[in-house]
Amino acid sequence: MSAAMRNPAAKPEAAQGPVVAVRDLRAWYRLRLFGVDREVKAVDGITFEVRKDEIYGLAGESSSGKSTLVKTIAGAMRPPLEIVGGEIQFSFMDGTMGLNRAPADLVERVRWRHLSYVMQGSMSVLNPVRRIGTSFFDFAFRHMGLDNAGFEAAVVAHLARVNLPASVLKAYPHELSGGMRQRVTIALATICRPQFIIADEPTTALDVVVQKDVLAMFRSIQREMASSVLFVTHDMGVHAHLTDRLGIMYAGRLVEEARTPDVFARPRHPYTRHLIHSLPRIGDDRPRIGLEGTPPSLANPPSGCRFHPRCVFATERCRVEVPPMEQVAPDHRVACFEKDRVEATP
Amino acid sequence: MFVVLRDLLRYNSEFLAGILMTGVVVAMALLSFVSPYPPLDQFVAPMDVPPSAAHWFGTTSRGQDLFWLLTYSIRNTLAFGLLVAILSRILSLSIGLLAGYRGGWVDRVLMSINDTFIVIPLFPILVLFYFVMRDNMSWVMLAVLTALLGWSYDARLIRSVALSLRHREFTQTAVFSGMRTHEILSREHLPFVLPIVFSTSLNNMNWSIGLEVTLAVLGFTDINRPSVGGMIYWANQHSAVVAGVWWWIAFPVGLVVMLFIGLYLLAISMNEYIDPRSRLERGGGRKE
Repeated sequence: MSAAMRNPAAKPEAAQGPVVAVRDLRAWYRLRLFGVDREVKAVDGITFEVRKDEIYGLAGESSSGKSTLVKTIAGAMRPPLEIVGGEIQFSFMDGTMGLNRAPADLVERVRWRHLSYVMQGSMSVLNPVRRIGTSFFDFAFRHMGLDNAGFEAAVVAHLARVNLPASVLKAYPHELSGGMRQRVTIALATICRPQFIIADEPTTALDVVVQKDVLAMFRSIQREMASSVLFVTHDMGVHAHLTDRLGIMYAGRLVEEARTPDVFARPRHPYTRHLIHSLPRIGDDRPRIGLEGTPPSLANPPSGCRFHPRCVFATERCRVEVPPMEQVAPDHRVACFEKDRVEATP
Repeated sequence: MFVVLRDLLRYNSEFLAGILMTGVVVAMALLSFVSPYPPLDQFVAPMDVPPSAAHWFGTTSRGQDLFWLLTYSIRNTLAFGLLVAILSRILSLSIGLLAGYRGGWVDRVLMSINDTFIVIPLFPILVLFYFVMRDNMSWVMLAVLTALLGWSYDARLIRSVALSLRHREFTQTAVFSGMRTHEILSREHLPFVLPIVFSTSLNNMNWSIGLEVTLAVLGFTDINRPSVGGMIYWANQHSAVVAGVWWWIAFPVGLVVMLFIGLYLLAISMNEYIDPRSRLERGGGRKE
């Protein structure tokens, strides 16, 4: 409702399209130290889109490139990380080069207002020596276009939405509990009602009870604002609980993408299968089969399919060719040459 | 403000001692405004009188009342320390925060200047300036020079904090929200380094006053402007210790030592108020 009011030019058909579309994105860390060149291909050829009014989950083990991907999309990258190729298209912004190549004034208008970013380690997003109210003022005031009184009223109203009293504005971050701090962070990221929210492991430091509360809150705010969320965590339980669609990353590439229930029920990629089968189930006390080997170094990744050294289905072709993402069912894409054989295996 | 003061006094004995000692010194300095003797007048009192009811701190061999002379001296010495502290804080804060936050070539250029100042021997340079400028060397000039030489250590300290702040999430969020460099430095990072700034500025006052006293005792400042070091210089010129006029040396030294200790105690106790985390610790979890 308010998104439409703010952007009267948005047409209905545009609203149905993706909020962000990423095509063949490659973002590498390029280091030149003491004459040695190193390229860490943390994001290497990723294509996906986040639709309107959905929560898109991104899962994968540590160092699979999740955070690099969202940093690149948010344009919050610093050297040595750079975009080597690919396109990032936002529905609320012209151009296909993403925030990184956009003119500074455009970036300034888009960020926070249309695109907000809950950073990794969001427990420390709040400056420990500034009161919460001041942080709100510092980060969000310029984007709201309100006067002081109007801004404060808007902040208090928005805090009520995440069940926080107005008195937290006078508190320092250390005076709040972890869950409250988390809710403040979410309120801070959503106060401008952005179309697109990037959340990078926002609940990792919380215990499960608080986590459930915070996630429910997050979900209801997202529903109310009809915004799109890119939600990153390695916690599959959170994904099952929260996300609509789920992308699985391995060693800098997307290996599978489907509606979240499908990922859990019918994983098609060998890595996803291992991931899902490693999850504990109530009543099932068989020992879980571990995956041999360790995640590959992104500075020197394996040729072909990056999963082939650890994959029981691997063939000669997997060692040489990079498997493309292929549609196997509506809303289900897999990057595996042996996906049929994988599916046939119980 | 009143509550803050009350709590500091209640929970923090260092603060109490510090504020008493500094308070006595500042009160002395303020008394100079009601002094019955103009500071530069000589032979207005009997010479070499020991401390007595008529002349509390005794009189000098030049016929000055020591108590009232000391009020002027400590006022000038305090003003000098304050001016140096303010000027050098401006330098060390802006250079330290900028170098730490921007990094890269900005950091390299600023820190090579900084390191140059760290290795320069201060004392010979100040003496050299005195010999070059002689009568043109006013106390303000000396304060500016001292400030120019006295910012480098603290700038490095502040830079080291800024280096870590730059990688914190709240800095990245601030950048993401579109805050400019000067806004991030003044609004997000400055409050963080304030405890260090307070503590270092009080210590910097101590340092600069010590330097000024040293220069003055050796006669490398404007000796006609009353200062604590200047008083000791004149006492030495008149061989006060040999002549048994001990009070001419004892009272200025005692007062300036009291100022040193007072400022130091304030510096360490101030930290606890400014850093909200250690404030709570000291207050036993009480929050006002």
